[in-house]
Amino acid sequence: MCKKLVQMMQGKIWMSTNSQGYIQSTSLVLRFQIQQTFNRPMFDLTNFIDQPKSNSIFRGLQVILADDDGVNRMVTKKLLEKLGCQVTTVSSGFECLSSLGPTMSPFHVVILDLHMPEMDGFEVATRIRKFRSRNRPLIIALTASAEEQVWERCLQVGMNGVIRKPVLLRGLEIELRTVLQRAGERLSS
Amino acid sequence: MAAVSQLQRQFIEYTTSLYNEGYLDDQFTQLQKLQDESNPEFVVEVVSLFFEDSEKLLNNLATALQQKIVDYKQVDSHVHQFKGSSSSIGAQRVTNVCVHFRNYCEEKNLDGCLRCLQQVKHEYILVRNKLETLFRLEQQIVQAGGSIPMME
Repeated sequence: MCKKLVQMMQGKIWMSTNSQGYIQSTSLVLRFQIQQTFNRPMFDLTNFIDQPKSNSIFRGLQVILADDDGVNRMVTKKLLEKLGCQVTTVSSGFECLSSLGPTMSPFHVVILDLHMPEMDGFEVATRIRKFRSRNRPLIIALTASAEEQVWERCLQVGMNGVIRKPVLLRGLEIELRTVLQRAGERLSS
Repeated sequence: MAAVSQLQRQFIEYTTSLYNEGYLDDQFTQLQKLQDESNPEFVVEVVSLFFEDSEKLLNNLATALQQKIVDYKQVDSHVHQFKGSSSSIGAQRVTNVCVHFRNYCEEKNLDGCLRCLQQVKHEYILVRNKLETLFRLEQQIVQAGGSIPMME
């Protein structure tokens, strides 16, 4: 069976035996095409980075907001829309991950409540980092906690920013702008 | 038929007192600023959702604390949610009770929790009545042909 599979892949497989007829080793040769690496910008984030200081920086920014509380979702969504973002809301970590699936249209930023039941923000961020290495959205945590350990854990898990709850428009704007600018610096370096 | 200016003055006085007495804080002001032509009922919508959710939470809390063996993690989870939603809309006194409530949950102090439940229910009913009065005042102003004064 292995031989058949390898032959389908246009490769070769053979076993070499020693003088007593026992199998000593297996060799496998497969052909691979070298992928061309395109200089693919991350969703054209460059559109969002070189804007002058105005809220047009966020216009058209695709954001997915995950928070299990209905009131918080409503308020945070409105704040983001006020900044010019296009917002999709979900109420769980699971929904968030399925919305980021490979067949869905890309989101630029994921804003994530840390304390959701079943799957918390840390877990969601960890999974996002694993599965979506190429088209990875920026991740910003939402938390009522001011503890340094919490913020540090956010960084460890690979998040790009943290916003303290209750969310204020100014705080949201500043953190979003900072996260986007940092991402831009990464791209151009 | 009260004159528009009289209603507006009433509105300003009432709103100011709500802030001074700590029933509302800056988060509520932010909510009002978020309301615009594209979403003229935003504040009422959010606050109505808050009322609905709060009533469910209060019921869940009562049930959880009535169990033979109280699951304090569950109780804390409800209080955490209540703390979050109340702080989002600026219902400061409710949020403050929630903070104390969470401490009692951590200590697994049933007495403390039951007292906080009563307190948080009390504060919730107070703020609900105040907000309903505020919305009624707004309606009266609009019906009398006036505009609602912007609070700074």
